[in-house]
Amino acid sequence: MTVSSEQELMLTQRANHLVRQARLAAAVFTQYSQEKVDKIVRAMTAAAIENAGKLALMAHQETRMGVTEDKILKNLVASEFLYHQIKDKRSVGVTREFPDLNMVEVAEPMGVIFALAPVTNPTSTVIFKSICCAKTRNTVIFSAHLMAAESSNYAAKIMYEAALAAGAPKGFITWVDKSSRLRRTSELLMSHPEVDLIFATGGTQMVKAAYSSGKPALGVGPGNTPVYVHKSANVLSAAMDIIISKTFDNGTECPSEQTLVIDREVSEQLLNEFKRLGCHLCTQEEVEKVSDLIIDSRSGGINYKLVGQPANLIADQAGLNITQPIKMLLCPLNGELRHHKLAIEKLMPVLGYVIVDSVNEGINKALDINYAGGTGHTAGIFCEDDDVIERFSDAINAGRIIVNSPASIGGLGGVYNHLNTTLSFGCGTGGGNITTDNVGIKNLINFKRVPRRRNYVISFQTTKNIYINPGSIDHLKSLKCQSAFIITSRSASRRGHLAQVTERLPQDCHVDVFSDMGPEPDFAMIQRVVAAMRHSQPDTVIALGGGSVLDAAKIVRLFYDYPELKISEIAVNFLDFHHRMIEFPKDMKTQLVAIPTTSGTGSEVTPFAVLKDGHRKISLIDECLLPDVAIIDAHLTRSLPPDITGDTAFDALTHALEALVSTFSSDYTDGLALEALRLIFESLPETLKNPNNVLYRHKLHNAATLAGMAIGNASVGVNHALAHALGARFDIPHGRANGAFLLSTIEYNAQIPSKFVSIPCYPLWVADRKYARAAQFIGLTVEPIEGETEEAKGLRLVHKLRQAVYDLAKLAKQPLSIAELGIPLETYMAAIPELTEIAFSDMSIRTNPRYTLAPEVAQLFANAYTPRERP
Amino acid sequence: MAEPTKETRKLEKIRILGELERGLDDVDKVLATGKTDIELDFSACTFISVDGLEWLEEFLLRADSLKSSVKFVNVQSPVYKVFKVAHIDSLMRACGSPSQDAQGLVC
Repeated sequence: MTVSSEQELMLTQRANHLVRQARLAAAVFTQYSQEKVDKIVRAMTAAAIENAGKLALMAHQETRMGVTEDKILKNLVASEFLYHQIKDKRSVGVTREFPDLNMVEVAEPMGVIFALAPVTNPTSTVIFKSICCAKTRNTVIFSAHLMAAESSNYAAKIMYEAALAAGAPKGFITWVDKSSRLRRTSELLMSHPEVDLIFATGGTQMVKAAYSSGKPALGVGPGNTPVYVHKSANVLSAAMDIIISKTFDNGTECPSEQTLVIDREVSEQLLNEFKRLGCHLCTQEEVEKVSDLIIDSRSGGINYKLVGQPANLIADQAGLNITQPIKMLLCPLNGELRHHKLAIEKLMPVLGYVIVDSVNEGINKALDINYAGGTGHTAGIFCEDDDVIERFSDAINAGRIIVNSPASIGGLGGVYNHLNTTLSFGCGTGGGNITTDNVGIKNLINFKRVPRRRNYVISFQTTKNIYINPGSIDHLKSLKCQSAFIITSRSASRRGHLAQVTERLPQDCHVDVFSDMGPEPDFAMIQRVVAAMRHSQPDTVIALGGGSVLDAAKIVRLFYDYPELKISEIAVNFLDFHHRMIEFPKDMKTQLVAIPTTSGTGSEVTPFAVLKDGHRKISLIDECLLPDVAIIDAHLTRSLPPDITGDTAFDALTHALEALVSTFSSDYTDGLALEALRLIFESLPETLKNPNNVLYRHKLHNAATLAGMAIGNASVGVNHALAHALGARFDIPHGRANGAFLLSTIEYNAQIPSKFVSIPCYPLWVADRKYARAAQFIGLTVEPIEGETEEAKGLRLVHKLRQAVYDLAKLAKQPLSIAELGIPLETYMAAIPELTEIAFSDMSIRTNPRYTLAPEVAQLFANAYTPRERP
Repeated sequence: MAEPTKETRKLEKIRILGELERGLDDVDKVLATGKTDIELDFSACTFISVDGLEWLEEFLLRADSLKSSVKFVNVQSPVYKVFKVAHIDSLMRACGSPSQDAQGLVC
């Protein structure tokens, strides 16, 4: 074995030993309670406060950087100030609760942390990171800068002994001993598999090494803080703050000011004040001398020997003839700022400045500094104008933008502001980091989110005023309206309905009529009617007719009231029926009265409107589409021919069955759907036998409205998706198209789904049981079989329900297959891919109780062709 | 002296009570006889320290050299988590659980 490989083995063993200690301690730490942790943190803080002076002196003597008195302050900030910020924070168990979101956060320690400590803050960083690790139940292995290892490691020892005495796990803090192999040991630790996180604060090379290790790393970026002094600033106060900040620990703090950008209006006063307070304003010749001294001519970077040195020493070495004590050297950065040698980070009491003539120029100069090596770190502004502060903050890329305070101590947090106290400044992606935080305890915890199941709010809405008995059209006599616009179809006019309406409207009501609404109108038709209404200027729209007329009137009113709307923008698909992304107007200006003359769609009480768009149908859904008044007068349906009576009743039947099993069904919609079913099975056969019997017409009319209320709140399902696609492609009336699929979809939905629907309001698939319940509700029964399970009995009831639907369809001469609709087999089969695509994207499918896969949609289409036998 | 056969070996069941802060001499003595398999019952163990962990690891090592079988049973979740985080294979084996993290897809 060679000497170097022996050394490497020794270093590896040393690294393994450190990590093993930390690993065992991390394991044991997982058992600690918040109280136990807080006790340890308190003891460590007290030890740090007690030793703040001693450690500061030691750090100064070892590094020959900075100012002992300021290092004391840093040690206190890292202990006492940090303690105040974190003492009441929870870091064990549940750390935060979000009652509104039904969620909590639970803390999980990160584990073994390998932490670097920089030469500029050798003791305060160790104090800070030790306390943070204790609070978060992590263990930490420190690797100090070689030039500061004795003081850093001594700080670690003080922290560890205090923690151990307070009950911390053995090995909770460890450190790499000072030696010429310290750097190599650190490299081994960085890539050690048992290290969970690298907490890197220090020189760019070490931070880069941490990021290159392949481990999670909390790093920092380099700084180059621009500070803008706006003309509105309190100039004298700004001068003092800047001196405090830039001379703090002789400028070793990386958030400290590097270049001032001063508005010309206040520049003379500010510079004079600097001078009065003991700063030296350099001439151009002196700037050259200072630059030559503090900038390494080969690299263009800083001369590290001068980091944290006093201003007089720098002045002397630069050859400046200054005899009196000075606080700092102020250097005008003339010429092109972006190329000036001193426009970089200067961790010493040397401060550049430029003078500007506008806010815009000021922000741009600040950006020049900000993007010259300090992106994401820190910036400052002295200003009393909030707009300027906002403009500055918007433009500058810095994790902390310190306002009217010293940038260095301000950046530390907790002293001049309420930033988190830190010795580690996240710089975001601008500085190559993952966070812009003042890194602290929250960055050292794996937060486990524990979301409880969402409490889904389901509401129920319908048309406010519904007049429900035969003859209720008389309500029009008392309708409050000055000008009515009636939208209707030619058939309604022919059947005398239009006259019944106009006769009943108040005498003084001006009436205009659009009686040319055809079946399944498109948007061009809507626009025609809206244009007609613009001439009429009505305060009331009366929709008189079947579902198409009522749907069209809803859309007409919407575009009449809100002409700026665009149909393409409001007909957007959705996943969650109750929380769609589209926002419709809240209040409608024009009253809408819906008077159905068929017993089918229930449109008079739904928030839906369907429009034809080429070979597909588009649906609009919003409460604003609900009519204000619905008049359910069965007299208007007496003249309906049997085929239309059957078609529309089957539409209502489909509504009731689909609403019942919808994923958005509720006790409210279930009651409506079941009663609608019962009324349809009772009244449709009687109505077909005796079309003039108003009693049964009335029941059928009410059934359609009840089913409408059900779908208005629970929506429909796959049957409607299939029917919409078929109806649009082959011009099949909606009710007929629905009927053609009904037996297939009941059977399909009653089977255990191949894929369940993932929506929080549907916690249990119950479609089979609901169909069985529907069967029982309409009076169907099955003979008991001994030992039969409820599930098997339920399936027999579903079978009975399908038989009942079949029988009703036969009675009503409703087709139950595509073949019966007269569509040729070849034409139909060729259309299935297109039909499948359209049906699969139909909104109706979203609330189906079975997650409907595209091949299943195609299969449902294919299965629906052949005429059916009785189930 | 002939080694006890599997049939002649005795199974000693020992309960770890309260906080396992350090090694337990009584348990060490049982192991030292070399004639027993041991079942450590952790149902009443409420806390385990670093010294306790190190003792368990060493105990398992000694048991292995004596060809004694040691099983950990009824390990309560907080202590089981300590074993998991400690990443000590022998502890996990004594619990009868896999020692390595499963490597799955990263997503």
